[in-house]
Amino acid sequence: MSGGLTAGPAGEPAAGGDPLLQVRGLRIASRIQGVQRVITVGSDFSLAPGETLGIVGESGSGKSMTARALIGLLPAGVRAEGEVIYRGRNVLALPEHELRQLRGAELAMVFQDPFTMLNPLMRCGAQIVELIRDENGRPLRRAARRAEAVRRLAEVGITDAAVADAYPAELSGGMRQRVGIAASIARDPQVLIADEPSTALDVTTQREILARLREVQQGRGMGLILITHDLRVAFALCDRVLVLYAGSVLETAGAAPMEAEPLHPYTLGLLLSDPPVDRRLSQMAAIPGSVPAPGDVAGTCTFAARCEWRADACTAAAPPLTQVAAGRWSACLRVAEIGPQMQAARAGAQAARDGDAGRAASPAAAGTAGAVVTVRDLEKVFGSSHRAGRRVPALKGVSLQIGADEAVGLVGESGSGKTTLGRCLAGLERPTAGTVLVNGRDATQQAGLSRAERRRLRRTVQMVFQDPYSTLNPARTIGATLAEAIAAADEQGRDIRAAVGELLERVGLPARYAERKPVALSGGERQRVAIARALAVRPRLIVCDEPVSALDVSVQAQILNLLTEVRRELAVSYLFITHDLAVVRQVAERVYVLREGLVVEEGQTGAVLDRPQHWYTRMLVDSIPSSDEAWLARAAEAESERLGSGDGDDADDSRARIAR
Amino acid sequence: MRARSIAIFLIRRALALLVLLVLISFLVFGLLYLAPGNAVQVLLGTHPSSPAIVAAMTAKYHLNDSFIQQYLLWLQGASHLNLGVSIQTGQTVTSLISSRIGLTVFLGLYAFVIAVAAGVPGGVIAAMRSRTVADRAIVGVSLLGVSVPAFVSGVFLLYLLAIHAGWFPVYGPGSGFPDELWHLTLPALALAFGVMALIVKLTRAAMVTVLEQDYIAFARARGVAPARVIVRHGLRNALGPIVTAGGLILGVVLTGAVLVEQVFALPGIGSLLITAVSTKDVPVVQGFTLLAAALLIGANFLIDLCYLFIDPQITAGRGLA
Amino acid sequence: MTVITAPDSGLVGLASRRGRRRPSLLIGLSLLIVVLVATCAIFGSLLAPHPANAQDLLAGVHTASGRHWLGTDDFGRDIFSRLIVGARAAVIGPVLIALGALVIGNALGLIAGYVGGRTDYFIMRLADLVWALPGLLIAIVVVGVIGGGYYIAVAVLIVLTFPIDARIVRGATLQQRTMPYVEAAATLGLSPWRLMIRHIWPNLLPLVMANTFLNFAFSLVSLAGLSFLGLGVPLNTPDWGAMLAQNLPLIQTNPLACLAPAAALVLTATSMNLIGDWVYERLSDRGRAR
Repeated sequence: MSGGLTAGPAGEPAAGGDPLLQVRGLRIASRIQGVQRVITVGSDFSLAPGETLGIVGESGSGKSMTARALIGLLPAGVRAEGEVIYRGRNVLALPEHELRQLRGAELAMVFQDPFTMLNPLMRCGAQIVELIRDENGRPLRRAARRAEAVRRLAEVGITDAAVADAYPAELSGGMRQRVGIAASIARDPQVLIADEPSTALDVTTQREILARLREVQQGRGMGLILITHDLRVAFALCDRVLVLYAGSVLETAGAAPMEAEPLHPYTLGLLLSDPPVDRRLSQMAAIPGSVPAPGDVAGTCTFAARCEWRADACTAAAPPLTQVAAGRWSACLRVAEIGPQMQAARAGAQAARDGDAGRAASPAAAGTAGAVVTVRDLEKVFGSSHRAGRRVPALKGVSLQIGADEAVGLVGESGSGKTTLGRCLAGLERPTAGTVLVNGRDATQQAGLSRAERRRLRRTVQMVFQDPYSTLNPARTIGATLAEAIAAADEQGRDIRAAVGELLERVGLPARYAERKPVALSGGERQRVAIARALAVRPRLIVCDEPVSALDVSVQAQILNLLTEVRRELAVSYLFITHDLAVVRQVAERVYVLREGLVVEEGQTGAVLDRPQHWYTRMLVDSIPSSDEAWLARAAEAESERLGSGDGDDADDSRARIAR
Repeated sequence: MRARSIAIFLIRRALALLVLLVLISFLVFGLLYLAPGNAVQVLLGTHPSSPAIVAAMTAKYHLNDSFIQQYLLWLQGASHLNLGVSIQTGQTVTSLISSRIGLTVFLGLYAFVIAVAAGVPGGVIAAMRSRTVADRAIVGVSLLGVSVPAFVSGVFLLYLLAIHAGWFPVYGPGSGFPDELWHLTLPALALAFGVMALIVKLTRAAMVTVLEQDYIAFARARGVAPARVIVRHGLRNALGPIVTAGGLILGVVLTGAVLVEQVFALPGIGSLLITAVSTKDVPVVQGFTLLAAALLIGANFLIDLCYLFIDPQITAGRGLA
Repeated sequence: MTVITAPDSGLVGLASRRGRRRPSLLIGLSLLIVVLVATCAIFGSLLAPHPANAQDLLAGVHTASGRHWLGTDDFGRDIFSRLIVGARAAVIGPVLIALGALVIGNALGLIAGYVGGRTDYFIMRLADLVWALPGLLIAIVVVGVIGGGYYIAVAVLIVLTFPIDARIVRGATLQQRTMPYVEAAATLGLSPWRLMIRHIWPNLLPLVMANTFLNFAFSLVSLAGLSFLGLGVPLNTPDWGAMLAQNLPLIQTNPLACLAPAAALVLTATSMNLIGDWVYERLSDRGRAR
């Protein structure tokens, strides 16, 4: 059980002498109201000076708690055992007042959400210099404070001194994250722990933040621990990567060797279920099942239940993390025997390409007559119609068409209006101007329609939402939710019970799930039910609004496969809204790129992604994390291209952007 | 720009509250006509009636004028602090109230200080030690405080500390500041209990929410000292909801004072109200009600002012409706 | 793009997850007290050992004895019997207020939150107005001037309670309305009424139930205050608040005469508050983790 039994990578001498931070047998568990839950079962790792270590894991892997344990900031009720050695002292055993001397000064941390990380009632500059003292240990004077704040802001690439006087709500997410980084490194710490620092940001901003982190880390020779769910991000930024799953470390290796040849089935699965952006797969390699709770798989290989190479020995005891090659550690018992098979699986997946040609869209077929939905010059303005200052245009005249049995992608960042467009199609938002033709009928002009006709029109377009945790009514069973949808489609004489069972099976869930309430289902399962609910009324179009972006990578592929499968069988059209170009490549034949309420580019998905014409599309494509060393270096270039593009208002428009 | 929008905001709020005050004054004046019997009977109370007296009253109070005219006359008087004459004592309402308000204000402030001094730290500690024994104890006490009306806690305190233990005087306001403080301690404690409970509840709820925020964890991660985390980053952000409840708290204090004065036989404006109500002394009731309304409205305006300091980002129309 | 993280990756989610909660001893006790009070309110005069208004002027004030468990007041009336019979007058008003505010507040709150428009504006302004108003004080003034006693007071308190309830329900409705599960039901073509009553309302239940208990406790205390001032129940009706006032002068001779009704009030109100909190935690846990 205990990682301390084996010589884990803890014993491994880090490159460049003594490790800066050494973690041995880190066990984290929570005990809330008498219920004990295991969070991690004993991790060992180390961080060398100047090194960047990536800790990669899905939800429930314990990665965030591990990060917090390192600086002694676990929430109430959560306890850590083991050792976190920094400069000869065990951080876990230090009393609070000594810990506080370390925090910020030696060990620092940046949080995930820039929108909640900064105190809303304190000016940004004040938060950055809050703990900076002069050489006599006294707080700085007012003028010195401001000068210092401006200097610190410049270090993270903010040259506008006014930001020091701004309140966080006046800044964009990317700017706030940079202020957060400046504040966390204000006292020149030796180790920076960044917990998903770019996850809450748009893809284009993500690269800027990662580039800033890399710059600051290299400039100061700091150790950096990057916590992320995204292997691509880890490979782009880190020297070494540690893969955490359900509370145990399954593999550690240098980033490049791991990317080239993963030595644990889970790492392989993660890599394979991450959709490629440069080609379309006929079937994505999904890991079956969902992430277990660490407590449920204690004493076995945590991944065994989902592993295709599982043997009896895997569940007999927890396999220790053992060294398999220089600098490479794996917790897979069978890594030696299955190595060739894993490599074959990887090669097979890489070769698999059914090409975009396999299911090319036929634009000819998508004439207005055959179109399920035709949108012309759609405009939507939010806000009161009385006060001009509060009017926020979300859509500024968008036209698009979705043919029968066609999957259309809609790509854009936050604020592009993509969700608003989808909601207008589903009748959840009333357009300000323009028309939406559904089945050739104007859905915005319902005056002449009977009630039944109106409802039929509504049901033609269904929606699958992003958040699996609120997509189902928590008070009703799955069966009741589906039965209601079936009944709404008013087909007389349908055996509703049987129909519920059929629907559940269609989306890959057992019929007995009808008895359950949503809380008993995992995120992926809930999203399956949401798809079943949409299918229940036999729609012609399903608007999928980021349906997989809240799911774990290993589950994403399952849902994408399901959507593809459903379309093959039922001839339904999709409008697939996403920020993720790789995902859109897998599901859509045609794609529209939306920016600030306008379509900037459209066309065959393959063509648009391979040969983007508009600078914005190019930037989106280029923002996809890549381990290519040049990728981060291009961040500055991309920023200047955006600034030079005429409407490059972003760098400082971020100031004006009031948090919505 | 900011100064101007603040000024506009304040003027708008002040006007709205003024309109509200006028509206309430209309209702208060209407009380005279809501009381059973006609206005003359109400104003005569238990005094003997004769045609001459009725005629004199009618003339004095302009009872033959239209309702609106009477109201305007009354309002004019009220704006000059002329609220009429008490039916029972013959004194002016203004002098009656001003002779008694000192005690009630003293009692109210005394209780308020106790309640804030115990309630805010209590709420903060409960939030910091959320779900521990300390939290449960504080929440338990505050739950009791909400459930025990001021007159009941007054009776218990009276029995335990004044009669049983004999540490405090049983009733009366005392004379001279130290003696008054001494006499008013039990009533103030009784009054403070419920108010404290309310403040604990509000503070705890606001602080629990704030302490869960990332910016608190981030401040700790930077090594900010615990006291500063709690006060500068925590309480500062929790202040909004607490201050917003100021009007509510004033209402609880006023209501509690009326009851507590009754328990401890204190001659404040609360007992003035109860005497007036039981003797149908409508002008005095009107005077009290108008005073209470003005106090509440004034407090709400003060709260708006506080808000400007609490949240520097508030400009007119945003954040405050 | 808003990135939603699964609940268990957030610290808040972890901290708010609790084990299954059984009713504690305190809750059991509270439930027992409420049942007891309800029994007294319904069958009071059958249970009381003496007629509540039987006077014995010659006997006068007595402290507790085998015959009079809580002694007698200055009219020689049995305190224990009056306490039991008085439960009805103490409880009936709060029940009416809590139920009245529940029905009116929920209906208006749902409509305000879901439909919006003028109803919404009206309710919000009303709630703004009523929120800081001292309800009991208004009841004192209105009842004091108009007369009419108990039921006028009940009506006044309903009027001053339901806007607050409506605002709470409105806020929760607004929050639920934009939830994907409600929007998904809307795209099925279901009627707004069905969405409000079958989908949204059941999810507000913990809030609504808890609030109703709190309203009950609050109006119990308010009405007792009114009776304490002699403005509630008619003279001589046994009632806890009125007993407290009438027997206050006896605090040196038979303290139980006024401490007993005070204790009855406190126990009932505290129990209702405790049950309200407990119901809220239990019902909202049920939705979260099973």
